Amino acid sequence: MSYSYSIEMQMEDQSRASKGKDPKEVVIAVSPAFGKALSKTIINVEHSKVLREIISGIEEQGGVTRVIRNFETADLAFIGHLAAKLSGSGIGIGIQSRGTTIIHQRGLDPLSNLELFPQSPLITLETYRNIGRNAALYARGENVDPVPVVNDQMARPRYQAIAAILHLKEAQQIVGGKPAVNVDYSFTISEEETV
Amino acid sequence: MKLNPTAVRRSKRFQVLEDRPVNKDGFVHEWPEQGFIAMSSPDDPLPSVKIQDGRIIELDGKLRKDFDMLDQFIADYTIDIKSTVQMMNMESLDIARKLVDINVSRAEVLAVVKGLTPAKVVEVLNQLNVVEMMMALQKMRARKKPSNQCHVTNVRDNPVLMAADAAEAALRGFDEQETTVGIVRYAPFNALALLVGSQTVRGGILTQDALEEATELRLAMLGLTTYAETISIYGTESVFKDGDDTPWSKSFLASAYASRGSKMRFTSGTGSEVQMAGSEGKSMLYLEVRCIMMAKGAGVQGLQNGSISCIGIPAAVPSGIRAILAENLATTMFDLEVASGNDQTFSHSDLRRSAKMLCQMLPGTDFVFSGYSAVPNSDNMFAGSNMDSSDLDDYLIIQRDMMVDGGLRPVEESQVIEMRYQAAKTMQVLFEELAFPAITEEEIDAATYANSSEDMPKRNVMEDLKAAESVLKEGITGLDVALALANRGYHQVAERIFNMLKQRVAGDYLHTSAIIDENNIVQSAVNNENDYTGPGTGYRMSDERWEEIKNIRQAISPSEY
Repeated sequence: MSYSYSIEMQMEDQSRASKGKDPKEVVIAVSPAFGKALSKTIINVEHSKVLREIISGIEEQGGVTRVIRNFETADLAFIGHLAAKLSGSGIGIGIQSRGTTIIHQRGLDPLSNLELFPQSPLITLETYRNIGRNAALYARGENVDPVPVVNDQMARPRYQAIAAILHLKEAQQIVGGKPAVNVDYSFTISEEETV
Repeated sequence: MKLNPTAVRRSKRFQVLEDRPVNKDGFVHEWPEQGFIAMSSPDDPLPSVKIQDGRIIELDGKLRKDFDMLDQFIADYTIDIKSTVQMMNMESLDIARKLVDINVSRAEVLAVVKGLTPAKVVEVLNQLNVVEMMMALQKMRARKKPSNQCHVTNVRDNPVLMAADAAEAALRGFDEQETTVGIVRYAPFNALALLVGSQTVRGGILTQDALEEATELRLAMLGLTTYAETISIYGTESVFKDGDDTPWSKSFLASAYASRGSKMRFTSGTGSEVQMAGSEGKSMLYLEVRCIMMAKGAGVQGLQNGSISCIGIPAAVPSGIRAILAENLATTMFDLEVASGNDQTFSHSDLRRSAKMLCQMLPGTDFVFSGYSAVPNSDNMFAGSNMDSSDLDDYLIIQRDMMVDGGLRPVEESQVIEMRYQAAKTMQVLFEELAFPAITEEEIDAATYANSSEDMPKRNVMEDLKAAESVLKEGITGLDVALALANRGYHQVAERIFNMLKQRVAGDYLHTSAIIDENNIVQSAVNNENDYTGPGTGYRMSDERWEEIKNIRQAISPSEY
């Protein structure tokens, strides 16, 4: 007998997101469709699990998480840059629905970054937790070992077209001119026995 | 009763098929509204042109007031106003037949295409099957002699290994070599490694370092690289603007290279607009033809295309690999050099990746690959090429089987070892002269015999980066490199590097499709123009070249038995 668990995530868009003041704060900016029009990454990992791992990684290091939703762009660099700009610590994480993730810092050029995980099919839940951990460490001003980036030159043949489809669905959720909002989130975990 | 699908008894044959590599590739049905369509979308415009007061006032069904910036650029700078009405009146099928007809010269086709609009070019290409496209490509390629370009990179940006790999690639016949970085700050070292490694073997090999545009230009201006090609353009206004660019800003960048006598070409390819959610419902080929015509209007001599890094997208839809061949062909129809892709992984299947590659290799293009991986794909920092160093023997044998010149030559193991050693040794000397972190004998030995970066001892990256940054800070030039090597008695390689600098002053290698041979002579579409008009004309292998290709090391002599 073994157990499996499922996580239900409730995300509710709130009021306009403003700049945070807590120096421990790491802002996670999600893309327009994340957890809404789309619910799974390119390798069918539920967004709820992804978000929970990142948040756990941040909190393990004493960081404080705030989640916001960006509506204006599906471009990861700008999503991550927005997170950093609004973060109390100046450190932000951007994530797209297909799972591609970036750690960004206020003051860097949008197309620059602290860490980038460009190949979404290769990002595991463990990596997401480490991304959260590193972001919190950056927020504390520590010297950080980057999370190892995995490279697979055969990811393109398998996933590029699917990545494009997910990006197109993401882009359909863009609302031009709509400012980012804070997102209330909660998780419900249910355990099931499996035979 | 509803069957449980997992309980259905499976065909053993289907199970075998499912395990084949090709079934790891991604395939999708067409989705025209989002541009997921290769060669012809219902939303592609119909061809039309109207002229008033010496300028185009209607292009492909759009009035000038509705032009986006690409329409405007193409209408004002690419399309030949004098001939356009006449050429647009020709039937697309007739133009397609001229492309294939050996009795119609390349020059005659160029004169027709000059007057066509993007939609018309797409309509012409849609008349052709792949064999016809290959026939047309054989005729329309600008330079008579086909050639090849390679990637030389490694995951650790190890400069000793990179120089040795560049030397081996030079020996194997690549006329152009391209590198890029894992860590951006290593860029000047990578440029140095390719320059020194390639020139160790023969003068005239062109080298480039694909980087963020300002640094790439800086290295070219310093004379540490001799050409550039990662200047990306896109087929819709929204995607162009996403990159903070316009056709005019890219043209300005192109002229910056020209002003310093450095060869350059643009880069584009089908699928990029889909990938960036900006296809506006147009077919991939229509958008790519706009890119090609923009490149022509900007006055650059050539274009790297063939989908390039977005190949997973056209490769996933019907007729996508045909569309990639069509975009290569379209580039040559505008009298531009084409570096025809094949430089990115797109399939798990050896059959499928070979079949695709033959579309460019058999007719021959200016550069059959715009990046054959001269290193193992695990070291390829362009995310892997369609063929890599482990496929080199297959490639040489395909050349021999088909009697086709794919630009490479068989080499002896002993020669390779010798040249790799020389290149690594030359780097050691150069680093000493420039007071860069030492290259040890152990490193030289490892690089001489290495297959990949895993065979190399680790270097002190922080020290290397400091030295690499000083190249840009102090403005170390190609001339400084040549002088340093001459000081240490490395006269031959010093002179070859100096000759590459002299080429910039002469400027001959800015001509279309220029490569430089081992005698430091430029071979371009000016002095080596493709004159194919059927059997017995155009590029034919010389007897010496055929002897070279025939003599692979694996062949046994009948007299041995």
